[in-house]
Amino acid sequence: MKCDWVRQNILFYVYNELEDDARYEVEQHLGRCPECATELKAARKFHATLSELPVAEPTPNLLAASRMRLQEGLETTQPGGFWQRLILEPAMWLRQIRMAPALAAVIFIVGFGGGIGATYNFLANRPPTSDISNYDHSNPTPSVEASAIAGIRSVTQEPGSNQVSIKYDTVSTQEAQGSLNDQRIQQLLLFAARNNYNSGVRMDSVDLLTQAPDDSRVREALMYALQNDTNPGVRLKALDGLSGFVRQDPRVRDGVLRALISDTNSGVRMQALRLVEPMKTDSNVRSVLTRLSQTDQNASIRSQVRTMLAQMPEMD
Amino acid sequence: MPADSYAVAIPVGDNYRPRRAASNSDGGNQNPTLSRHMRGSLAAQSNRIDDTSLIRAAQQGNRAAFEVLVRHYDQSVLRLALHLTGSESDAQDVYQEAFLKAYKNLGSFRFECSFYTWIYRIVTNLCLDHLRKRNVRKEDAPVAVDASGEEYSRLEQFADARSGANPERDLMRRELGRKIGAALTMLTPRERMVFELKHYHGLKLRTVGEMLNTTEETAKNTLFRATQKLRAALAEMR
Repeated sequence: MKCDWVRQNILFYVYNELEDDARYEVEQHLGRCPECATELKAARKFHATLSELPVAEPTPNLLAASRMRLQEGLETTQPGGFWQRLILEPAMWLRQIRMAPALAAVIFIVGFGGGIGATYNFLANRPPTSDISNYDHSNPTPSVEASAIAGIRSVTQEPGSNQVSIKYDTVSTQEAQGSLNDQRIQQLLLFAARNNYNSGVRMDSVDLLTQAPDDSRVREALMYALQNDTNPGVRLKALDGLSGFVRQDPRVRDGVLRALISDTNSGVRMQALRLVEPMKTDSNVRSVLTRLSQTDQNASIRSQVRTMLAQMPEMD
Repeated sequence: MPADSYAVAIPVGDNYRPRRAASNSDGGNQNPTLSRHMRGSLAAQSNRIDDTSLIRAAQQGNRAAFEVLVRHYDQSVLRLALHLTGSESDAQDVYQEAFLKAYKNLGSFRFECSFYTWIYRIVTNLCLDHLRKRNVRKEDAPVAVDASGEEYSRLEQFADARSGANPERDLMRRELGRKIGAALTMLTPRERMVFELKHYHGLKLRTVGEMLNTTEETAKNTLFRATQKLRAALAEMR
């Protein structure tokens, strides 16, 4: 009976959780049914009563105190992926270690260098810059420009003296040059496509990867970029790279279909549509297109899909 | 390849220029510090694009970026923790734990959901833990200790601050506040959480589901159960 359904949904109506069509039906029914209208009144009263417990805004003092306490907490915490950090600028490093000028004059550094993390192993072709035991004392200021500091392991002060010893790890910025066929170059590109926070770098990597010879890892990287990259330009680039594989590789086809359904950018969806068009007779593709002709947010895409569907002979 | 050859608007980190000749020894400023570009555009760009650059920077160890990111969310997190726990010090504890946990686990954030959902997931789980711990001591009246160490009923702190003008109304309001608080303790932690997020913070049930790692349907059912219990409890108290 209609009333049962309405009663079940009155709460969600009050909380504005109903879909437009359900909301419409409820409102229509409430106009005609006095009992359900009473229910609505009761539900609204309940809502109002519970709202008598106000949500207090945190006082500025509380907020400030919480922020300060967090800052202290952060100082003693390492962020996630600490050892994946690429570069720590020497300036930032120096700021963190507040040293008296007197101490800064004489710094005894016992350090060792090395690549960080397994992902960079193939970069560090040179042996780690380890032994600094024969450090030149007359030149205490180390040249930190040449290599960047990945992290400070420890800072200790010799008791009763102004000697400080600091253990730190370094990573060096290197440059790799080679052709697209070069293994090393490919590895770096694959890494860059996923991991760089600068979308320009990701874009260029994906672009170059699309020119790389057919390789399942490249395909995976392109699919990953298509699905996950936050930048629509990068996703478009990835689509370009995958266009050759849509027919032969079902995984690529599924990935492109997924992008067609769920990508938030209409330009990307449009391109994905173009890529699947030659395969519109495929039943998977057809069912996606049928749904898309109604549900896609972009009117131009919807009309294009409808045209596509109209051109196909009806298949059973 | 210039990024602006595409028809879609693409925010590209502007410190990077694709290098064709390999003469420049500078590997391109990887920009670990908060550049003026980021700071200046904080007002101009939408929050989401903001967060993406901040998150990536924070993931690479930039603490300043993390702190700015925190400021986008911390007031509402604190508000939630305060209303749920009823105590300033408990709220601060939840706040501290939540953001430290976020900082430690930032590496595992893969943009599969919004940062807002991600951070709230952490916060709600911590709140659930808090509620469960409190349930264990259910036989105690809901008491808390304020900043000066004085015990006070957690429900009294919800008394309307605009008191004095109408003492009778204030008394009624305090009474009502107490009743509501008592009714809320009848809920299971999950029911309490769902109700809190929906009723007091206006979140959509779909979002609530995501935060509690469940479906919208389950969240709906939980809300339904919670309201049934609350209505029954309040009716009984009359």
